[in-house]
Amino acid sequence: MESAVLKVRNFNAFFGENHILKNINLDIDKNSVWAIMGPSGCGKTTFIRCINRMHELTPNATAEGSMKLNGEEVYEMNPVLLRRKVGMVFQRPNPFPTMSIYDNVIAGYILNGIKLNKQQKDEIVETSLKRAALWMEVRSTLHKKGTFLSGGQQQRLCIARALSMNPEMLLLDEATSALDPVSTAKIEELIHELKAQYTILMVTHNMQQAARVSDKTAFFYLGELIEANNTKTIFTNPKHEKTQDYIRGHFG
Amino acid sequence: MNRHDSKSEIEKQIARRNRKNKRFKGVIIGATIVSTLPLLFILFYIFRQGISAINWQFLTHLPKPVGEAGGGVSNALVGSILILLVSCIIAIPVGIVIGIYLSEETKSKLAYYCRLAVDVLQGIPSIVIGIIIYEWIVRPMGGFSAFSGSVALALMMLPSIIKSTEETLKLLPESLKEASLALGVPYYKTILKVIVPTGLGGILTGVILSISRVIGETAPLLFTAFGSPFMTTDIFKPMSSLPLIIFNYATSPYEDWHQLAWGASMLLILMILILNIISKIIQRKWKVQF
Amino acid sequence: MALLKWNQKLTPLDNEIQQLKRQVISMWEMVLSQLQKAEEALKNMDRDLAREVVLTEKRVNAFELKIDRDCEDIIALFAPVAIDLRFVLAVLKINMNLERTGDIAEGIGKFVMDIPQDFDARLFEITRVLEMYQQGNEMIIDVMNAFEEEDTSLARKVFKKDDLLDEINKNAATIVADFIKDNPSKIESALYILSTIRKLERVGDQAKNMAEEIIFYSEAKVLKHKPKNKKSEE
Repeated sequence: MESAVLKVRNFNAFFGENHILKNINLDIDKNSVWAIMGPSGCGKTTFIRCINRMHELTPNATAEGSMKLNGEEVYEMNPVLLRRKVGMVFQRPNPFPTMSIYDNVIAGYILNGIKLNKQQKDEIVETSLKRAALWMEVRSTLHKKGTFLSGGQQQRLCIARALSMNPEMLLLDEATSALDPVSTAKIEELIHELKAQYTILMVTHNMQQAARVSDKTAFFYLGELIEANNTKTIFTNPKHEKTQDYIRGHFG
Repeated sequence: MNRHDSKSEIEKQIARRNRKNKRFKGVIIGATIVSTLPLLFILFYIFRQGISAINWQFLTHLPKPVGEAGGGVSNALVGSILILLVSCIIAIPVGIVIGIYLSEETKSKLAYYCRLAVDVLQGIPSIVIGIIIYEWIVRPMGGFSAFSGSVALALMMLPSIIKSTEETLKLLPESLKEASLALGVPYYKTILKVIVPTGLGGILTGVILSISRVIGETAPLLFTAFGSPFMTTDIFKPMSSLPLIIFNYATSPYEDWHQLAWGASMLLILMILILNIISKIIQRKWKVQF
Repeated sequence: MALLKWNQKLTPLDNEIQQLKRQVISMWEMVLSQLQKAEEALKNMDRDLAREVVLTEKRVNAFELKIDRDCEDIIALFAPVAIDLRFVLAVLKINMNLERTGDIAEGIGKFVMDIPQDFDARLFEITRVLEMYQQGNEMIIDVMNAFEEEDTSLARKVFKKDDLLDEINKNAATIVADFIKDNPSKIESALYILSTIRKLERVGDQAKNMAEEIIFYSEAKVLKHKPKNKKSEE
């Protein structure tokens, strides 16, 4: 496939004996926004957590199969280095409470002991906050603690934090589920802008959001990838009955 | 006509309920006052008894031999502080590390036995700890010492430091760890640079509270630090301490020594009060929001 | 109420709606040009021009299909509400009206191609068919501008203009019948003119329908099935 950032082949994931993901095959192309959706327990969150190998942090969690990030086998890479190439934003905004906004943005560098001079730090902070559409709102309070921001702003701070590491891919795990509609709309707008530079995978429960924001959609059900296609096609004429049942709200 | 009647019926019912509410509130407030009163009486009594003993001489002079007037508790004050200092040096790092381990590992066998041990340690009577340390440290060392007293006190501080560290860290949301790990920060650094600093407020509070608990322990010091009439800062020698002095003076037949005992008691209470206030301040200032 | 306010930031839905609007206007211009070419062909008995109109009808149909699909996509992907929803629904109907208008232009073109003899100039005069054609085209232009500017008062003007078309249409049968009596050899072209007039009357209808849709989406007022005099008042 043309420029596939992520190639998944025959991928399986387990929690102990439980077979969570069954033989997943998928190509994620560059600079696209993919929505990963499906009913609860379908494996969508497990799937993206396998991409940055957060899955294996749970005891008894195993995975097999191939996942190549820009040609490199994910499961042969150093997980710590991998996670700097793949950024993740979680459902609940989680800026580090003891750090200022400034430090939160470059937390990836600070915590990893990567040395930067003041100018580099300033640059990264400004660029990342601008890319996360948060710069204008916090430029004069960079040294305040991150937890004094509103929920939507905190989430954008987390996005800036992920972006500061210049990841190749951005994983959003229901990143707007805990936010009010206005903040959600702002972040959806942001995703649109980020698409030009990053490849984005977003897990979402909100089908309307998947329809509005994504270019392509992957529908998971009970651990299997049922259908992966252009979002337009999925929402106007899905090929599989289960997909159609799901988006019409007939289960899950 | 019916509606009119039922209206006043309802009004009566509401009035009755309001009265019941007020009575219930009254009972709760009454009970609270009744249970707080003894505490206030104790504090007040100690204060009244002890305040007359406190003066500059009291704080800066050594105790005088029997029969002589005057004297102070300077060596006991210094002793208390020194012994506590050493026990902190021993107990705090060990306690925090164990607390971190227990908060992370919930299922392993080691964690289970560790928790069991901590609970048992918490229940061991202080005098028993004193005797054990006498056997293990005082005897081999050949004599009483402040150091052995510190070890005994450290053993008593450990359970509460461990427990409060574990509880504080357990309360931190999982997402905090995940956020750090997702940035490519290795596990141990996540714990040291993110989890512990975030929980520092709670950990410190636990430490200070455990100090204020052991500051007045007498039994373990009886066979370890033993006490001394001299001012010394050598921890490998026997040392005086406030609880020891209170014990000795209060059980003596001399009236003026009783006075000194009251004074020392008041000093102890003051120190405990200050420690508690400090812990409250820390709790408020270091309150971490999520 | 308008689709866009001056100070509002464009959401992706806004962009899709504006794009849809531009497409509809392009189709409108194409249909208008069809009508005008057919008019030229009629006036000058230009059979080549008429053929052009008939061939171009394919593009009009393709346009209709595209706009339908785009409306379907917008509804599926964005679940529009309020004025956005009314706009898309209005566009679906206007799309159909435009396609039918395109059919009418094609039909007139076919007449010009099929007719064996040239039209008699007198026929044009007495039936006032060209006047009717002119007015019909104007109505289409007015509604197009009303759609582009979101100007409902311009849309409403169309109802009055239809009066002329009605008048000419009503008298057409009698006038043509009389002409046939006097010029029996010219019966075929006379019948074709009559058919053309009927077709042009439907152009007026289509324009009115489109005006109703514009007023509907803009003001959420439904003017369908109301008596004519009420429409221009509302």
